[in-house]
Amino acid sequence: MTETFEEMLEELRDIIRKLEDGDTSLEESIAIYERGALLVKRCEDLLAAAEMKLTELGRDR
Amino acid sequence: MMPGSHATSPERFGSPILRVSEVSGLICDLLDDPRLHQIWVRGEVTNYRDHTSGHRYFSLSEQGAGRTAVINCVMWRSVASTLSFRPKDGMDVLAWGSVEVYEPHGRYQFIVREMIPAGAGERHLMVERWKRELEAEGLFDPGRKRPLPVFPRRIGVVTSSSGAALKDILSVISRRYPVEVVVSPTAVQGEGAHTEIAEAIRRVDGLVDVIIVGRGGGSFEDLFPFNHPDVVRAVAACRTPVISAVGHEVDTALCDFAADLRAPTPSAAAERAVPERQEVLRELGGYEERMLSLVQHRLAAAQNDVDDLRERMHPRRLARRVHERMQRLAEMEERLERAAFGRLQRERSDLAELRTRLDAQNPLSVLERGYSIIEADGRVVRSARDLRPGARVALRMKDGRANAVVEEITYDRDF
Repeated sequence: MTETFEEMLEELRDIIRKLEDGDTSLEESIAIYERGALLVKRCEDLLAAAEMKLTELGRDR
Repeated sequence: MMPGSHATSPERFGSPILRVSEVSGLICDLLDDPRLHQIWVRGEVTNYRDHTSGHRYFSLSEQGAGRTAVINCVMWRSVASTLSFRPKDGMDVLAWGSVEVYEPHGRYQFIVREMIPAGAGERHLMVERWKRELEAEGLFDPGRKRPLPVFPRRIGVVTSSSGAALKDILSVISRRYPVEVVVSPTAVQGEGAHTEIAEAIRRVDGLVDVIIVGRGGGSFEDLFPFNHPDVVRAVAACRTPVISAVGHEVDTALCDFAADLRAPTPSAAAERAVPERQEVLRELGGYEERMLSLVQHRLAAAQNDVDDLRERMHPRRLARRVHERMQRLAEMEERLERAAFGRLQRERSDLAELRTRLDAQNPLSVLERGYSIIEADGRVVRSARDLRPGARVALRMKDGRANAVVEEITYDRDF
């Protein structure tokens, strides 16, 4: 999972735009829907798993 | 006494007579002196009053050596609202502005554009000077401001590791959208703090997606390091977007102007740095619903198409179509037969009629009735004059012929 959260959201918005477009074929609609559902799941998992991590930089380089 | 007549006589005064507006104009010209414009004036506030309009009227006065000097002052609403303190009578202040004439009242007054308590004067003046310099360098240019990342993965915080500001920031981030926080600790007040803050900013720059620089509320002196050009330049030089949060609400520091965003408090800075997780989850849920409904809609439409096609290909429907065709074929056959048969009938009856007519005309039919036909030399004899006695003739009867010789001829008289 190398994409950033933004990239996944952007792809999701893209998928919705394509689904809204009547020219997208049924096969592609289903395929990209599956991809979209996966992205939603990944994003949600990412948010659910998020935990604050604290690190402190040393004062010397 | 007739002052009017005296007044109109120039000779009486030895000089030309001026109109009021001309005198007022001269005063304006005299006061239009650079020494009276954009100057700092130090004095004591007297007769201070907040006008309902929001403008402030007061005097600056100086007493000493048995004499008193007073200048009337006006501070417009727009300036008054930016004051960082509440002026009171008796306060020693530094005011910056210009002397101008208000012709309708025949008064000159000092228009105050900035005012600070004289006690903090030195440092305030220093901040003012820095502000002008840094502004001239373009560090406060709105065009330099960069957008903050919407979903940062790492937040840098430059502040005291023991201060309330850090606690506030961590609490907001853990509640809203937990991410990795990298603290770059530094002293935030006292001698040399500015060098340390600048250093801490540079240390964290590039390691995180957004940096919060700040501290909690304090006095002007406490916040002073955040005005220092070292800090302002370090903020301006950051590759990473910076949120500045120095002090509380009304406090401003020069580093606020150089940052990409100024937040009123450290908590507010944290709120601006990260999104709200619940909102993002809601947004995601909305996307999922939208996608699902689009695909379901699409599938329903496809199902409809298939049903349509199936209905059109149904065997019953096909059989009906075949029957229809066969029926049409049968009808055509019938029509063809009818057409052909009718014609035959017609022709038959025509033929019968023709035969009747032919029969009626058949010369041989008379033979049936007992007549005979006489032929000579193969031709029908119609007249007795065609014959001679001794001529050989043939008699044709209904059922045979007989050859005969003419014996005698008599002619009927009538012919």
